[in-house]
Amino acid sequence: MPHPPADPTASAAPVIELHNLTLGYDRHPAVHHVSARIAPGSLLALVGPNGAGKSTLIKALAGELRPISGSVSGLTGQRIAWLPQHSGLDPSFPIDVRRMVAMGLWHRVGALGRFTAEHRRLCDEALAAVGLTGFESRGLDTLSGGQLQRALFARLILQDAPVVLLDEPFAAVDNRTSTDLLALLHRWQRQGKTVIVVLHDLAQVLAHFPLTLLLARELVAFGPTARVLSETNWGRAQRMQEPFDDDAPLCAASPDPQGDAHAHAHPHTPTHTHREEALP
Amino acid sequence: MSEPAVTPFLAWLMTNPLLGPLVEFGFMRSALLGCVALSLSAAPVGVFLMLRRMSLTGDAMAHAILPGAAIGYLVAGLSLTAMTIGGVFAGLAVAVGSGLVSRNTVLREDTSLAAFYLLSLALGVLIVSVRGNSVDLLHVLFGTVLALDDPALLLLGGICAVTLAGLALLYRPLVMECLDPGFLRQVSRWSPVAHYGFLGLLVINLVAGFHALGTLMAVGIMVLPAATARFWVRRLGPLLLMATALALGASLSGLLLSYHADLPTSPTIVLSLGAAYLLSLLLAPYGALRHQRPASSHLKA
Amino acid sequence: MTASLRRHLIASAIGLASLALSPALQAQTPAPIKAVASFSILGDLVKQVGGDRVAVDLLVGPGSDSHVFQPTPSQAKLVGQAQIVFSNGLGFEGWMSRLLNTASYKGRHVVVSQGIEPVKGKADNHGHQHGHSHGGAADPHAWQSVPNVITYVGNIAKGLCEVDASGCDIYQRNAGAYIAQLKTLDADIKAAWAPIPLAQRKVITSHDAFAYYAKSYGVKFLSAQGVSTESEASAKGVAQLVRQIKKENIKALFVESISDPRLIAQIARETGTKPSGALYSDSLSEPTGEAGSYIAMMRVNTRALIAAVRGL
Repeated sequence: MPHPPADPTASAAPVIELHNLTLGYDRHPAVHHVSARIAPGSLLALVGPNGAGKSTLIKALAGELRPISGSVSGLTGQRIAWLPQHSGLDPSFPIDVRRMVAMGLWHRVGALGRFTAEHRRLCDEALAAVGLTGFESRGLDTLSGGQLQRALFARLILQDAPVVLLDEPFAAVDNRTSTDLLALLHRWQRQGKTVIVVLHDLAQVLAHFPLTLLLARELVAFGPTARVLSETNWGRAQRMQEPFDDDAPLCAASPDPQGDAHAHAHPHTPTHTHREEALP
Repeated sequence: MSEPAVTPFLAWLMTNPLLGPLVEFGFMRSALLGCVALSLSAAPVGVFLMLRRMSLTGDAMAHAILPGAAIGYLVAGLSLTAMTIGGVFAGLAVAVGSGLVSRNTVLREDTSLAAFYLLSLALGVLIVSVRGNSVDLLHVLFGTVLALDDPALLLLGGICAVTLAGLALLYRPLVMECLDPGFLRQVSRWSPVAHYGFLGLLVINLVAGFHALGTLMAVGIMVLPAATARFWVRRLGPLLLMATALALGASLSGLLLSYHADLPTSPTIVLSLGAAYLLSLLLAPYGALRHQRPASSHLKA
Repeated sequence: MTASLRRHLIASAIGLASLALSPALQAQTPAPIKAVASFSILGDLVKQVGGDRVAVDLLVGPGSDSHVFQPTPSQAKLVGQAQIVFSNGLGFEGWMSRLLNTASYKGRHVVVSQGIEPVKGKADNHGHQHGHSHGGAADPHAWQSVPNVITYVGNIAKGLCEVDASGCDIYQRNAGAYIAQLKTLDADIKAAWAPIPLAQRKVITSHDAFAYYAKSYGVKFLSAQGVSTESEASAKGVAQLVRQIKKENIKALFVESISDPRLIAQIARETGTKPSGALYSDSLSEPTGEAGSYIAMMRVNTRALIAAVRGL
C-alpha cells in the first residue's frame, strides 16, 4: 500500500468517469448504460426511487461489482473509503471503540507496523470529530446504533482517502447524529475529497448536496441539485421503474464509450438521453 | 549442593502432592511439558475459533483428517510420521477447499465445511475398508499424553512455536477478518492470508492435540478455555491470556488428579476444563446467573 | 478293438478289482479313534501319545482365548460323535460340562490334570472376562511345569488304553518316548536358569499364568499393578508400574495387556528396561509357528524369559 503524504489535501481526488456502464445480476440490468463525469472534489448525492440501482452503482464504484458492460475509470488503484449499507462489522466482537476505529489507519501501519502514540492521538481526534469523546475504551457491543455509525465514520476519517463512498449512511440513525455527520461530509469536501452518497431523504439532499445524480436504472438527470430534483425529472424517474423482465430481448446497444442516443430493442415508452455535464 | 541438604529437601519434594509426582517420574514431566506446549498454542487458536463462530469445526476436522491418515497408512504402513503428514494434508485440503467455496460462492463457511468434511470422511472410510482396520489407524493416530517421547515433544513444541509466530504475524489481519471482513478486503490483500493461515494453524493444532490428548477430546482444550474466558473478560487480549491460563491450569490439575485419584488422563484434563466452564457459567460476571439478575446498584452516568 | 480302447478296458478291470479287494485291505488298518481335546496344548500332547491311531480335533484353536470361548453347534456335534474327550480341568474349561450336556456325550472324559499338586490361584487383576475363576480356587495353568505334563501324558495314555485296548502297547510306547523327551526338556530348562542368580529371576507379566513355572523353576512372576487391558491408562497406574519395576529392579517386561505400545515404550524408557514380546501362556502358536508344539513352546518361553531377565 502506498503511503499517503502527511497533508490530506495534497492527495488529489481523481476524475471519475462512468463509460456506458451497465451493471446487473443474472444478465438483468440494474443499471443501464450510464455515462457521467464526476469532477474531483464533488459532493454528490445519488438518488432515485426504490430499486433504481443506486446501491448497485455505488458498489461498482467501490469495486465490489464487475460491470456487465462499460467501465469506470479513475478509481483503479485508488484508495477509497467505502461504507456499505449493511456493514459486515460484528458488534459483538470483544474490542474497544478506539481499536475498531484504528482499523482505518491500515494504510499507515499495515499488518505489521507499530501502532504509536501518534496513531492513538489520531484515533482520539477522529472520535472527537464524530462526537464520541469518552467512548474510546468502551466495548463495541455497548454502543447504540447511532453511536456505532459515528464510530464507523471516525474510521472513515482515519482512512483519509481521496474518495469517500457512502450507501445510505443515515438510514438507521437519529436526527442529531445525521446532522453531525452531514457536517463531516462538508468538511471532507473542503479538504478536496470526492464524496458520493446514496440517500433517500430528499430534504437532506436539497439542504446539503450541491450535486445530484438522479438514477432510475438509467441516468435521468445529473447536475446541480436544484435543477436535477425538478418535478419533471422526478416524475420521469418514477415512470421508468420496471421490474426485471425475463422475456426482454437482448439489448443490441453497442458498448460505445462516446455513448450517445442509439437504438434499443427493449420495450419502454419514454425516450432517454445520456447527458454529460461539465461541472466547475 | 552438599549431600545432607539435598536429601531432606528432595524427600519433602517427593511427598508434596503437587510437585512430588513431577519430581519422581520422567513420564509425568514429559506429559506436563507436552500439555504446556499444547495449551500455549491451542487455547489462543480456540479463542479465534470461537470468535469466528467455528467452534464445532474441530470435530468436523477430526473426521476430515481420516483419509489423509488412511493414505499415509497405505503408503507407509502404521508409521506415525506418514500418517501425521497425511492427516495434516487432508485437514489442510478440506480447510482450504471449504474456505475457497465459502469466500467465492453463496455457501457460508459452516455448510461448505460440512460438505467437504463429509466427503473426506466417506473417502477415508472407503480407503480403510478396502485395506486395513479403522480401529488400528485411529489408534495409532491418537496417542496418549503419558506416552510422549522426545520426537512427540519436539513435534508439539514445533507446532506451538509455529502457532505463536503465526498468530503474532497474523494478529491484526486476523482480528480484522473476524471483526469486519468486508473492510479488510477493501483495504488490503491480507484477507485470504489471514483466512487460510488461520485454518492452517487450526489443522496443525488439532493434529498436535490428537497426539497429546488422544481421541477427539483434543478439541476440548481448544474450545472450552475460550468459552470459559468469555464469561469473565470482554477484550481480546485478556481473552487470549485467560484462555491460555485456563488451559495450563486444567492440564496440571488433570494430570495430578489422574495421578492421585487413578483416573484416565485425557478425560480428566478435559473434565477439569469442563468444571471450570460450568463454574464460570454460574458465577462469572458475564455468566448465566449474573445475566439474569440485574446489578444491585448502578452509577449515575 | 483299437489300442486305446483296450487300454481303457484293462484300466477299468484293475480298478474294479481293487474296489472288490479293498474291504479286505481295509480290514487290516483300524479306523482312527475320534478324540477331542479342549485346547491346542492338550491337542499336541494327545497327538504325541496317540500317533496315527488317534484323530484329534481341537475346540479352542491355536491363538484363540479359552477364557472367552463360545462353543458352536458344529463343535457340539463333533463332541457328540467323539469316542474320547480330553480336558485340562482345574476350572480351566468352565464351559465344558455344559458342552458335554448339550452334546449328550456318553463317552470317556479324561481330565488330564488328575494327580498333580495344584497351586492356589491368585485373585486376578486383568480386565477381561474369565471362563474360569482364579481367586481362592486352583490355578489351572499346570502345564507350565514340565513334571505336571509328565503326569498329563500318563493320564492320556491310560485314557486311550481304556477306549482302544488293542492299541494300548503302542500308546504306552509312544508315551514312554515322549516322557523321555519331556525329562530332557525339564533338565534343559533348569540348566538354562541355573547361572541366573535368584535375585535376578524377576519378571513382570500381565497374565497370571505362570505360577507353576515359577514354582518349578524358581522364577518370580509379578503382575503389572494398576494397568489393565480395556481402559485408558491413568497416571497413577503408570506410576505404580514404574515404581514397582524400579523397586524390584526388574528387567523383564512382558505386558501384552497394555494395548498402547507407545506407553510400554515410555515405561521402558523411564525404567531402563527393554519391553519384551509376548509369552505363550494358554495356547500354542500355529503348527508352523515357533511354538507349534508343547516342547517348542516351553523352549521359546524359557529363551524369551532368560533373554529378558539378562537385559538382552
